[in-house]
Amino acid sequence: MAQDAAGAVGARVSPQVDSLIRAAQRGDQEAFEQLVRAYDQSVLRLAMNLLRSPEDARDVYQEAFLRVYRNLQTFRFDCSFHTWLYRIVTNICLDQLRKRKVRKEESAVVETTDGPIDRMETFEEEGAAGDPERAMWNRELKGRIESALEELTPRERMVFELRHYQGLRLRNIGEMLGTTEEAAKNCLFRATQKMRGVLGDFV
Amino acid sequence: MSCDSVSKLIPLYYYGELTPEEEDRLDQHLHECADCTAAVERQRALAAALDRRQVEAPPLLLDECRADLMAAISSGAAHAEKPAKGPWTLFLEAMGVTFMGFGRMRQPIGALALVVLGVLLGRLSGTIPGLSPASTLPSDNVISNVRSVKAESDGRVQVSFDEIRRREISGRADDPDIRKFILAGSRGDNPAVRVESVGLLKSQTDFPQAVDALLNSIVGDPVDSVRMEAMEALKPLAGDPKVTKVLSQVLLTDANPRVRMQAIDLMATHRDDSVVGVFQSLMQREDDSVVRLKASKVLKDWNASIGTF
Repeated sequence: MAQDAAGAVGARVSPQVDSLIRAAQRGDQEAFEQLVRAYDQSVLRLAMNLLRSPEDARDVYQEAFLRVYRNLQTFRFDCSFHTWLYRIVTNICLDQLRKRKVRKEESAVVETTDGPIDRMETFEEEGAAGDPERAMWNRELKGRIESALEELTPRERMVFELRHYQGLRLRNIGEMLGTTEEAAKNCLFRATQKMRGVLGDFV
Repeated sequence: MSCDSVSKLIPLYYYGELTPEEEDRLDQHLHECADCTAAVERQRALAAALDRRQVEAPPLLLDECRADLMAAISSGAAHAEKPAKGPWTLFLEAMGVTFMGFGRMRQPIGALALVVLGVLLGRLSGTIPGLSPASTLPSDNVISNVRSVKAESDGRVQVSFDEIRRREISGRADDPDIRKFILAGSRGDNPAVRVESVGLLKSQTDFPQAVDALLNSIVGDPVDSVRMEAMEALKPLAGDPKVTKVLSQVLLTDANPRVRMQAIDLMATHRDDSVVGVFQSLMQREDDSVVRLKASKVLKDWNASIGTF
């Protein structure tokens, strides 16, 4: 997937993004749409990875960008737009993570242009063609990883997601979550310890 | 540097979050300590295992999100306008639409109204900082649910609430705009709307989005009747490889034996080797005797062996 503007993590907004924001603040609808497109892939990816449900990810997307639309006037360029946007997105995701019960029946199907694909199947079959033992090991590993992630608090989950999968720096993560870099470091350490504990001799 | 203090730094070391000085000290320790070097390797292995769990947002989902967002904005929904009527009024009016002319056009209007209900009672949640409640909220009970109340450091209070809005559209089921709503209805919160929507998609299986929606309902919908209705809708495509793949998944994972039986019925209409393999796998893991019997009968009809050797 092509890297979007969110790839410019922690950096000040680029001049292009800057002018898009200013135009959108003046009510330019097309500029707002371009602004959304510059960041929405990473927002959706974050929501998908955290919530594992296309429906919930869709809700997060909609709510986040509607909030951006309503509140863009209040953005004063005193932090990067990416940080500002992610404050909104992470708040919504954390709310979801806190409220949701783990849905055992959660769909394993993801829509793609080629139709639905089964994530579990992809995982299980990876490198396991014609190797039932490997397939079984993969399946077991997948189960352990899910259990390991369930052990994390929503905040640990979020910090880990942003650092490991989204590649953000802990300083930025702290800024987004309204905490310090030190607290984000502690969170990452606890998350790693817990996962290592659950995954045990699998890794 | 002690091994104990190093172990706390290893995750940060792996993620490149140490200061250059800390990193130098840790590198030095690693040169001299096999245990800590092994711990770094375990951290790498953990990260590699977790890498495999990542999913990308599917392009189709992204397109749909973008379209939904722009539709919400252009319809004015993003401004959190004050609804003129309370939720009960809206609900009763929606029911009025449902039953108006019921005898004359029972099915089309009934089906359409259910979709309308599902779509029009869509959730819209958000915060409106900077606005005082008195200026934005009507005096009646338009607020259906307060999601959160949070005190801000400057003494203000941020409130997040759901707001129910209603819009109406009507048209033929194969109209692209109507189809969009039917697709949304098929994945909405209301199971009755999902059943109706899935039923309406039955006549639209020449559209890939409709087929994908049905396949997703088959695998992902928590309500048995929706999954079965979706399978019924895909009957004309029973031999399609994509459909077969999803039916195979249902057969091996669905918790409801009736759903598994229906999957067998559909898959039995087109013999191919992969289906034989799936039925044979089923025979090894199926607990329900009726389902086993049905699968074994199909295998027998196809002159295939019951088990794999």
